[in-house]
Amino acid sequence: MRQPRLREVKAVSSGHAAGGQLGQNSNPRLPVFSQRSQNPGSQPQSCCGCPTSRGMSWAQAIMLARGWRGICGAALTGAPFSQVPFQVPRGLHCSVATHSSDSSLVPRPPKPLWQPAKPLSPHEELFRLAPDGARDKASFVQAVQNFGQHNVRKRGHVDFIYLALRKMRDYGVEKDLTVYNLLLDVFPKEVFKPRNIFQKIFIHYPRQQECGLAVLEQMENHGVMPNKETEFLLIQIFGRKSYPMLKFVRMKLWFSRFKNINPFPMPRDLPKDPVDLATLGLRHIEPDLSARVTVYQMASSKDSTGTADSTEQHIVGIQSPDQQAALARHNPARPIFVEGPFSLWLRDRCVYYHILRADLEPPEEREVEEIPEEWNLYYPIQLDLKYGRSGWDDYEFDIDEVEEGPVFAICMAGAHDQATLAKWIKGLQETNPALAQIPVIFRLTASTGELLASSSGLEEPCPPPPQEEEEEEDNTQRQQQGQS
Amino acid sequence: MMIFGLRARTCWALGSFAVSRRPLRSSPRTHAFAKELFLGRIEKKDVFPFPEVSQDELNEINHFVGPIEKFFTEEVDSRKIDQEGKIPTETLEKLKSLGLFGMQVPEEYGGLGLSNTMYARLGEIVSLDGSIAVTLAAHQAIGLKGIILAGSEEQKAKYLPKLASGEHIAAFCLTEPASGSDAASIRTRASLSEDKKHYILNGSKVWITNGGLASIFTVFAKTSVVDSDGSVKDKMTAFIVERDFGGVTNGKPEDKLGIRGSNTCEVHFENTKVPIENVLGEVGGGFKVAMNILNSGRFSMGSAVAGMLKKLIEMTAEYACTRKQFNRNLSEFGLIQEKFALMAQKAYVMESMAYLTAGMLDQPGFPDCSIEAAMVKGTNEILRMYIALTGLQHAGRILTARINELKRGNVTTVLETVGRRLRDSLGRTVDLGLTGNLGVVHPSVADSANKLEENVYYFGRTVETLLLRFGKTIVEEQMVLKRVANILINLYGMTAVLSRASRSMRAGLRNHDHEVLLANIFCTEAYCQNLFTLSQLDKYSPENLDEQIKKVSQQVLERRAYICAHPLDRTS
Repeated sequence: MRQPRLREVKAVSSGHAAGGQLGQNSNPRLPVFSQRSQNPGSQPQSCCGCPTSRGMSWAQAIMLARGWRGICGAALTGAPFSQVPFQVPRGLHCSVATHSSDSSLVPRPPKPLWQPAKPLSPHEELFRLAPDGARDKASFVQAVQNFGQHNVRKRGHVDFIYLALRKMRDYGVEKDLTVYNLLLDVFPKEVFKPRNIFQKIFIHYPRQQECGLAVLEQMENHGVMPNKETEFLLIQIFGRKSYPMLKFVRMKLWFSRFKNINPFPMPRDLPKDPVDLATLGLRHIEPDLSARVTVYQMASSKDSTGTADSTEQHIVGIQSPDQQAALARHNPARPIFVEGPFSLWLRDRCVYYHILRADLEPPEEREVEEIPEEWNLYYPIQLDLKYGRSGWDDYEFDIDEVEEGPVFAICMAGAHDQATLAKWIKGLQETNPALAQIPVIFRLTASTGELLASSSGLEEPCPPPPQEEEEEEDNTQRQQQGQS
Repeated sequence: MMIFGLRARTCWALGSFAVSRRPLRSSPRTHAFAKELFLGRIEKKDVFPFPEVSQDELNEINHFVGPIEKFFTEEVDSRKIDQEGKIPTETLEKLKSLGLFGMQVPEEYGGLGLSNTMYARLGEIVSLDGSIAVTLAAHQAIGLKGIILAGSEEQKAKYLPKLASGEHIAAFCLTEPASGSDAASIRTRASLSEDKKHYILNGSKVWITNGGLASIFTVFAKTSVVDSDGSVKDKMTAFIVERDFGGVTNGKPEDKLGIRGSNTCEVHFENTKVPIENVLGEVGGGFKVAMNILNSGRFSMGSAVAGMLKKLIEMTAEYACTRKQFNRNLSEFGLIQEKFALMAQKAYVMESMAYLTAGMLDQPGFPDCSIEAAMVKGTNEILRMYIALTGLQHAGRILTARINELKRGNVTTVLETVGRRLRDSLGRTVDLGLTGNLGVVHPSVADSANKLEENVYYFGRTVETLLLRFGKTIVEEQMVLKRVANILINLYGMTAVLSRASRSMRAGLRNHDHEVLLANIFCTEAYCQNLFTLSQLDKYSPENLDEQIKKVSQQVLERRAYICAHPLDRTS
């Protein structure tokens, strides 16, 4: 009976970890056993899943029973056990944290319902130790290493990992595979590996496994592909037959499948410069590869304060030769419109663009494209036959197409007011002389909501254009101005 | 008409035939051989027997050929011409004195006035040097052809004698930087001067052969023409421009491969004053002039290529029989032998096609042989489009009634078509009357003739299906058109070699058994190629990859790059 004894020790240490999570670990050097006796309530949290544990509480008994039922049910229905990883665990460790909240990327540690409000997380001081201002990878790694040094027994490592996961974004390391591997390295090795068939059937050390899953989950959410080292660590920590390992295998499978699924790939790291970002966004919208991006105005450097007026915002536009030709053909009697702002998401950044468009030409004004009879010198360009293509060879889908007016140009600007956009139109006139004769009407949506504020962060959403207009309909969403 | 007789089983089917076919049957021979192939028929009269020249003509040709051949083999140094990128003046002078600059210029204007057959024969020798061949072809096949075809009597009298003697060299100026075959995008303009006596010509032309040597240019430019309904339109007009008119400059000669000695360069016209009497043809009629020139200048290419190939075979055979590797002559290796057989076969086919076409063109009247001429030259894809579309236009007109009936669901026509398909699929023997007791083809090539008949028959069926499927939108199906043209070129080649080999057998020419071998080899190969191409034209056959091909090119062109991941790339 050596095995149970070993496991007893493990249960104790994990019980301690749970205690730490409750915030009662005022003295990290407190002996293990006294700690445990102080916090009997933490015992259910530990969920060691070890039926032979001496200190088995009522919760563990229930859990055991549930586990058995779950297994039996699975066996009876013939459902593969590995395919339903979260059905049984949910009953076991009473936590739905990882899949309930899809808004927060970082799962909270399991929160017991019967506990009072939790004070500050433990190990918080490890992250506070970092010299202020320097929130980078080095200081994060330092914090993780400090944990290892302060806790030789890795006491409370589950809580620490959850905390670290939450902190990663602040340190800007949420996309760094080495940091995730470092976090996984915090787990003690070989301890949580199941050693017999029963441990494999029941979830062995569920809280630790869930924590491991949380690490992988966060990697998944940030699109970080695990590598061989991750695999090696997971095997060392949880063994081959474990849920983190299953998750790892699935990530390996599906990440590679989905990595290149997007036909319009985005660079992994978006450019920081708003002009570059706008260029990227415009290229993303415009399908024509021969379209030319023009920077009409660069942002001045001193507009980081809210006082900057729109004359100093960047204006980046794109126009393809076809659009240029269409604009040149446009009937000057018909106005064209500047519309926007419309939002475009580039990974986690939202940018806004405006379009220059016209209404659809009425059918009577459309020019019929005629085929000159003397066109091709070498072979006839059309045959003089009475019959056309047969229905069976008409490969076009029968779609009801809604015709829209032409879009002549697209721009992204730092400000969404009329003064800025008027500058864009002025810039466009250099390459499109026809634009000087066409009246331009600004149809700007007044507000883009709080997203705008959070995205640009420079000024209030679409301030009413400054006093340069003559007549201005207040509080209307459509501002019109004839522009020449 | 034999096919149709076989098929007319029921009286109502016969009735429908009588209606749809009668106009054809009663019409005299207006359609040339190639156009009839599109209907699955062989117009035997045109191609069998192989055209011959009379003994007098032959003597005349040989009278020319002897000295020219001697000159080319003894005096023309092709290596030197290629290295220096220039034909020496004395060589040019000799060419002029031999009359080679006016081969097809009528005799009353000082030319040789050769028939097409004789022109082809001389072209064979002239092509022994590529640079000279190109220079001469640009001069007379296109450069001065406009004056012969569309020029007025005064223009002919003024220009042709000097051009024929080689005192003036001609060039043909059509291509522009922005305009290859698209006549609508020609930028060169000719505007009438105020006194209405001159046109002011402005613009530049590229890739003009003889551009640096020529003193007479046939130039195509846009002019404003008042239409019959009073509107002003830009139309193409042809002009005869002399270098002495002023404002004509040319760029530096382009370097080329193999024909370095010919002169190709850009030609610029800047305010060149062209007298109004130098308009070639009508004002605004330049398009037709250009088309006629281009269509007429093609057939001689075949004999020129055959001439080069024959020379090549001599030179390489010499090498293959003397050089030793592994103690054996090169000629003993199978792969080398295969190459010689291929060259001989190609030369034979080219020669047969060229002289068959020349003979057809020399027939009295104005036979419509534009497709045949294009097929002889037909190595590029634009010409293939021309071949296929011209033929399909012809077939489409004749089949209009039938296709309309099929589309309307006329029970008689539909049943008849289905019946025909059934009989075809059960394996029928096609007999278009080439072989047999009174056949036009010699029995030694009868097998090949049967293959030709089968190909022709199914080609006619395929053309009908294609027209039924695509109608006039077949213009857009360029891959289909290319295949149609390929089959047609093969069919014409098969016909030419069969006709020639039959004649050689019957006349007992030297080495006629060799000809039979070549003819049978070519026919068998072409037959298999045709079968494959025909199955590619079948909508549901596994050989038809058009959809996939289109998709690939579409994806590539969408990104404007080769889009596959590198073989060494990984996802993780």
